[in-house]
Amino acid sequence: MSTLDIFFQQLANGLILGSFYSMVALGYTMVYGIIKLLNFAHGDIYMVGGFVGLITLSLLSPFLGAGWAGILVAMIISMILVGLLGVLIQRIAYVPMLSAPRLSILITALAVSMVLYNFVMSMTSGEYKAFPVDLGYEGLEFGNVFITYTQIILVSSTATLMLVLHFFISKTMYGKAMRAIAIDQDACRLMGINVKTIIAMTFFVGSALACAAGVMAGVYYGSIHFFMGFLIGLKAFTAAVIGGIGSIPGAVLGGLILGLLEAFGTQLPFIGSEWKDVFAFAILILLLLFKPTGLLGKTEIERM
Amino acid sequence: MLRKSFLVLISLSLACVLTAGSSFAAGEVKVGIMIPTTGGTATDGKDMESAIKLAVDEINASGGLLGKKIVTTTGDDACDPQQAVAAASKLISEGVVAVVGGYCSGATLPTLKLYGEANVPIVIAASNSTALVGANPGIGFMINSTGDAQADTAVALFKSAGVKSIAIVHMGEAYSEDLASIAKQKWEAAGNKVVAYEVVNKGEQDFSSLVTTIKSKRPDAVFWTAYYAEGALLIKQLKQAGYRGTIAIGDGSNSPKLIEIAGKAAEGVYCFSNPTVDYLPAAKTFAADFKAKYDVAPGPYSTLSYDGMKLLADAVKRAGSFDADAIKKALQATDNYEGIAGPISFTDKLTLARSNFVTLQVKDQKWMLHQ
Repeated sequence: MSTLDIFFQQLANGLILGSFYSMVALGYTMVYGIIKLLNFAHGDIYMVGGFVGLITLSLLSPFLGAGWAGILVAMIISMILVGLLGVLIQRIAYVPMLSAPRLSILITALAVSMVLYNFVMSMTSGEYKAFPVDLGYEGLEFGNVFITYTQIILVSSTATLMLVLHFFISKTMYGKAMRAIAIDQDACRLMGINVKTIIAMTFFVGSALACAAGVMAGVYYGSIHFFMGFLIGLKAFTAAVIGGIGSIPGAVLGGLILGLLEAFGTQLPFIGSEWKDVFAFAILILLLLFKPTGLLGKTEIERM
Repeated sequence: MLRKSFLVLISLSLACVLTAGSSFAAGEVKVGIMIPTTGGTATDGKDMESAIKLAVDEINASGGLLGKKIVTTTGDDACDPQQAVAAASKLISEGVVAVVGGYCSGATLPTLKLYGEANVPIVIAASNSTALVGANPGIGFMINSTGDAQADTAVALFKSAGVKSIAIVHMGEAYSEDLASIAKQKWEAAGNKVVAYEVVNKGEQDFSSLVTTIKSKRPDAVFWTAYYAEGALLIKQLKQAGYRGTIAIGDGSNSPKLIEIAGKAAEGVYCFSNPTVDYLPAAKTFAADFKAKYDVAPGPYSTLSYDGMKLLADAVKRAGSFDADAIKKALQATDNYEGIAGPISFTDKLTLARSNFVTLQVKDQKWMLHQ
């Protein structure tokens, strides 16, 4: 493989990894944008999404098969279910805390995270669960660069979901309300916007996207386990910060940048693939030190 | 009254101990079994005990040992060094001529000194840490291969597959790193190349960068030394990236779950395993007899335990006496004894002279013995 081949292969690797990060980062950034909460349970929503996807797929596969049709239907059903779970968590854990200091709600989010992964751990006795799909590994070969059809479908479906989200936020009344609440909640209330409903809707959309990413991860990697949300939660948080937390295009951009940085970072001399997490989090630290608003974020004065 | 009965009890038990010491004359000979029968490893321990007792029954049914009937006594080492010392002392005080067993290496280790002082030979059936080799005062005979042997088996497989260069991937913890470094050393000592020596993080899902690195170095084979969960993902992603060379994995990944997760990508993957019943053609009768007697399938170390007892009997016959030194000499002189888990001979260090690791390969989504 020539250097150019490696470059293109890592470019593809980075984009695929990055699209997972982007999907999860979107939920982070939307929730932060609207109620200034760093929802640390978001990574676990992704994990729960994977398991709900596994269950629905196992239930559906006798009727639809374990091919793409089955996966698509299972994914939509689990997105709705996990979206509702997100709303439920919000109602139970976050709504009562909205008027409390920011730190209290942050701790609540950590507690929700623990509840979720411990619940799944006890349900699965900590085992790895295999996803009942096997899409094979046929693909396109450009010289030495190899991209499977699964990867192509995966990246295009994340792109589609992001476009739908973009349309929802910028073109619908609900999206407009979301953006308005992010700017000034009290003014929105005075204007007759049902703030509670819109916040719940934000959680629904964010959780559904994380669930989609979880199901895709299960389909793509082939196995899921109770702890898989932890690392991706931190990575998605990093991605959201890179892009500028609270900014939706920023989350997508941040996710892709992080994916690419990880892929290319491991190609540096003397840095093996075991260093890729160090790479990601070193960038988070540097960014928080020197440009805490991220690439597309706005400067605002925040009192914690 | 109470004191009197107590005294009677004491004298009775004393008499028992004394007669136990001299019971050889009465047409019986005592062999000790040291295994864990309590604690987290009790299942495997009891399984070993059952296998040893099965061997004893067979020997007794065919006339016993030098005309004497074998009786066994079990010491529970609980996979714990302190308990093991107590168990060994108990066996020694009961006057056993030899011991078969040893499951947890950590528990077997401190007992070697006791057996050495009492001059009681022990056939170590399962324990296989290299630490036992140095601590052995010349009485422990290890019939399970040590960690080095797996690397030998791996090197032999790669050679026979015509592999010239390999990539080794481990997970950075003691077990897999150890195997990886031994394999690297042996492979290079055989004059071959290790083109990539990589580490992954536990719990990692995406190995695409690593896979690209490996692919760019064009190894003929990839050797994964850690466990099945990450191993399955690595195999899948190697195949997805278009890697079509040989893939081999260490015994830590020997699990049906690996095939379940990796799916079609697992096809053709090699794995090294201890000789378990499923892969030993010679153990078919043993497995059937075991099932008939205990109504459960024999477990992972049952074949080695069975072989251990049979080997001991064979050595006693060759020695022609129950004298410890004679038995030790006969054991050491063992020349390719045909056990159901394979032939047994010993090195100068009293370890198994060959690697007893078998090579498996995935065929039609199942582990099959590779010939």
